[in-house]
Amino acid sequence: MSGAAIELKALRKNFGLAQIIRGVDLAIAGGERHAIIGPNGAGKSTLFNLITGKYHPTSGSVHLNGTDVSRLKPHEINRMGLSRSFQITNIFPKMSVFENIRCGLLYTMGYKYSFWHLVDRQPKLTERAEEILEQINLSDRRNLLAGVLTYAEQRALEIGITIAGGADIVMLDEPTAGMSASETDYIVDLIRQVTDGKTLVIVEHDMGVVFNLADRISVLVYGEIIESDTPENVRASQKVQEAYLGAAEEADH
Amino acid sequence: MSLLAVNLLDGLVTGLLLFMLCSGLTLIFSMMGVLNFAHASFYMLGAYFAYQISTYVGFWPGLIIAPLAVGLAGAAIERYGLRRVHQYGHVPELIFTFGLALLIEELVQFFWGKSHMAYYEPEILNFTAFSIAGNSFPAYKVFMIFVAIGIFLVLLYILTRTRIGLIIQAALSYPNTVQNLGHNVPLVFMGVFGVGTAMAGLAGVIAGPVLGTFPGMAVLLGSIVFVTIVIGGLGSLWGALIASLLIGWMQTFAASYNVTMTDILLAIGIDKPVDLSDNPLRDLWTLTLPQIGPILPYLLMVLVLVIRPRGLLGKRET
Amino acid sequence: MSALGDAEAARRGKTGGLSLSAAAPWLIAIVLLAGLPFVFTGGAALTVMNQMAITIIFALAYNMLLGQGGMLSFGHAVYMGLGGFFCVHLMNMVEYDGLLLPLPLLPLFGGLFGLLFAFIIGSFSTRRAGTVFAMISLGVGELIASLSIIVVAFFGGEEGVSGDRTMGPVVAGFDFASQKEVYYLTAAWLFVSALAMFLYSRTPVGRIANAVRDNEERAEFLGYSQRYVRWISFCASGFFAGIAGGLFAINFEILTEENLNLATSGSILLITFLGGVGFFLGPVIGAVVFTLLQTVLSLYTEIWALYVGLLFVLTVMFFPSGLAGVFAIHVRPWQLGKIGLLASPYLKMFVPALLFVFSAAAVLEILFHARHAAIGEEQMSLFGLTFNSHGVWPLTIAIIICVASYLILKRLAPSLKEAWDEANHGEVGR
Repeated sequence: MSGAAIELKALRKNFGLAQIIRGVDLAIAGGERHAIIGPNGAGKSTLFNLITGKYHPTSGSVHLNGTDVSRLKPHEINRMGLSRSFQITNIFPKMSVFENIRCGLLYTMGYKYSFWHLVDRQPKLTERAEEILEQINLSDRRNLLAGVLTYAEQRALEIGITIAGGADIVMLDEPTAGMSASETDYIVDLIRQVTDGKTLVIVEHDMGVVFNLADRISVLVYGEIIESDTPENVRASQKVQEAYLGAAEEADH
Repeated sequence: MSLLAVNLLDGLVTGLLLFMLCSGLTLIFSMMGVLNFAHASFYMLGAYFAYQISTYVGFWPGLIIAPLAVGLAGAAIERYGLRRVHQYGHVPELIFTFGLALLIEELVQFFWGKSHMAYYEPEILNFTAFSIAGNSFPAYKVFMIFVAIGIFLVLLYILTRTRIGLIIQAALSYPNTVQNLGHNVPLVFMGVFGVGTAMAGLAGVIAGPVLGTFPGMAVLLGSIVFVTIVIGGLGSLWGALIASLLIGWMQTFAASYNVTMTDILLAIGIDKPVDLSDNPLRDLWTLTLPQIGPILPYLLMVLVLVIRPRGLLGKRET
Repeated sequence: MSALGDAEAARRGKTGGLSLSAAAPWLIAIVLLAGLPFVFTGGAALTVMNQMAITIIFALAYNMLLGQGGMLSFGHAVYMGLGGFFCVHLMNMVEYDGLLLPLPLLPLFGGLFGLLFAFIIGSFSTRRAGTVFAMISLGVGELIASLSIIVVAFFGGEEGVSGDRTMGPVVAGFDFASQKEVYYLTAAWLFVSALAMFLYSRTPVGRIANAVRDNEERAEFLGYSQRYVRWISFCASGFFAGIAGGLFAINFEILTEENLNLATSGSILLITFLGGVGFFLGPVIGAVVFTLLQTVLSLYTEIWALYVGLLFVLTVMFFPSGLAGVFAIHVRPWQLGKIGLLASPYLKMFVPALLFVFSAAAVLEILFHARHAAIGEEQMSLFGLTFNSHGVWPLTIAIIICVASYLILKRLAPSLKEAWDEANHGEVGR
């Protein structure tokens, strides 16, 4: 794919007087796996929310596949082919696992605001939902209420809902937070599988995951990107080491 | 001109009374995120308690005892009722306070029956304070103004000069932070709810003789109170004050100037049809200002919510 | 909808047919509705059943907002009321202006009128959810209720608007003068409306309404504008509320300001919540129970409203899932085959529980009578006994029984808890 899937130009975001994002320029190519890392308070969540439409930039712009989306609402951005997961697990706990996935499919399979179809009688819908359940290995949990799943299963379900609509750009917000080593490995494999061929942007703290998964890494510190390069170069970068150590020293005071 | 002065004063009384109710409600909402649908019911309880006390020892002890009793009842309800429901979410909380309003109304009828109670202002205040060109202004209403202003000053003092007041102010804008700073939030909640309801009770004590003490008094005032704090902005005490005075004056002025729609429409050049009996718009022609007076607050609230959901001075949206 | 319903539904979706277990409840409903007048005969019973039916439709419509959509409205009576007023005017046009509108079609127009207003008001009220929505609904509700006294042309002022349902064209031999004919008309509309509302919840927009209720942020990333989803739910709810209004107009032939006011909006909230907002049948149960309390209980006691208020508050505090929820928690033990474990504790607690409820009621009744009965009237009758309400003994006995039965219940509570834990223990086979 030519042309950046996501492009941020001179992006700034202030909350009142606090400057959270202070001029970010970033281009993420189509099909690339891109990780955003940085110390706590760097503004990763804010950056994430700026791209996904929860916040509007104070100045600068956000572009998806060339189109300026800075002023669009989240559901409009979603319809352009971008989907995201949430840091605090955002599934629908009172619906079954199957139902959760099915909800993720309704819009993209063309049902939109229909009240003249019965969802239970749409064989293609059911099939596709079953397929995705297979992909995330939750087929045998199909009929359980999503709220009773284990934490790792819920995160897997969340990823399932995120990719169900067939979005080309998938954004995952700390997908392995709170997981054990084996759960993390499992989720990373899952992510790799389901985002094959798509653009992936992932915010993460777990360095193992980041270096395992990412094609390129951007390091965000105090609202600015100090380094954006391949994993090896980032690991070796003096600036990055200082930033992390520096941040650690600050925290000690 | 004299009518203007009387209306200004009357509106001030209504507005300040409304503010006594709204301030308690705003405090409770800001601290706890709960919109206490039953707030006007505590106002009603204040009036009834004061009435009951007045049958034994007269008006003045009731002024102190009744609000205290109401505040204690409020604190108990928070502790044993609201706190329990809080875990289920905001909607059940609202529904609980709504059910509470219903229950209190039934309980009042259970104990005191359905008719108006003989609760009157004390003898020594039962005279005319002054008159303006023939319109007399009762001393009791002057008393009401002083009590309301007094409460407002006390509130202002507590909020700006005392430690607990600063905590409450902080919680008005940043409730989670206050909790994380380790203050005994449940105790503070109970206290705020108790104080808020006590203020509503006090409003009832002084308003009972003037507005009447009967089971419907909560419903009468209840929705206006909500309308007022929404207009003023949820979470803002100054907003509540401004909105209360605004509504108080709006109601008073609308009720006393008998301007009709006919006058207005004629003034802008539209002729009144001769025979109105079958005209579907006939009500529009006969519309008078006193008639739409009660509606104005609701209209204003809907407008505010559509144009500026934050309200006049609100700090945060819900 | 339960997870079980999903599995069933999916199976149906694949095969394309209508399974018996899905259609069964509806078939039973038809039989029930058709047969009730033969079990409960007499004009009074028919009136109660009609009232129940109308309340059920209104409650189901309200639950489309509250239970399905997560939107709490304090002003929903206006949509039922407006639909009703429109229908009475239509009835009058049939009578005086020769409008050819068969009565059975009338509720449809009530629904359309309710839909119209829901569309208009929803255009600004559904922008936000939560408390702002609740407050707007309150404001709009009070606004329209107040307007109804002023706009006499449409609302008839203090006396309201009345009409005559028998003046329309005769349909298949029915002129709807008799209560029984009205019942069957109402029951038919009840069935059709309930079915329609149920099916609506199984449509894409119905499912997404649930999603928006649970997690609006997430629903946006399913491609849906939460605002439009809420607006659509609001319109659908207004439509069915309007149908209920039309049936009210047919039944009672008069609409007044009371049909629009906060008290009516409040009572439908109470009814729906009492029944249980998380279940489709919840509002049905709530409507039935409330109508019974209102009509039957009010014959036996003057303080029935106090009992309802107490019931409501206790439900919010202890059974937020409502009466339907109380039934629903028995499903899991049933599936595990362990429902029998509960039989013993229930039986043991049954008599003390009954004693507690009745003695508490007795205390309240005695106090009420002692305080409010006319001067000189000292005798009261309760549960078939006649006694002096001012005397020491009746009250004392009632209090003693009340306290004693409460203590017994408290004693038995741990064994019930144990039985519950045991009955819920285990895995339901997949």
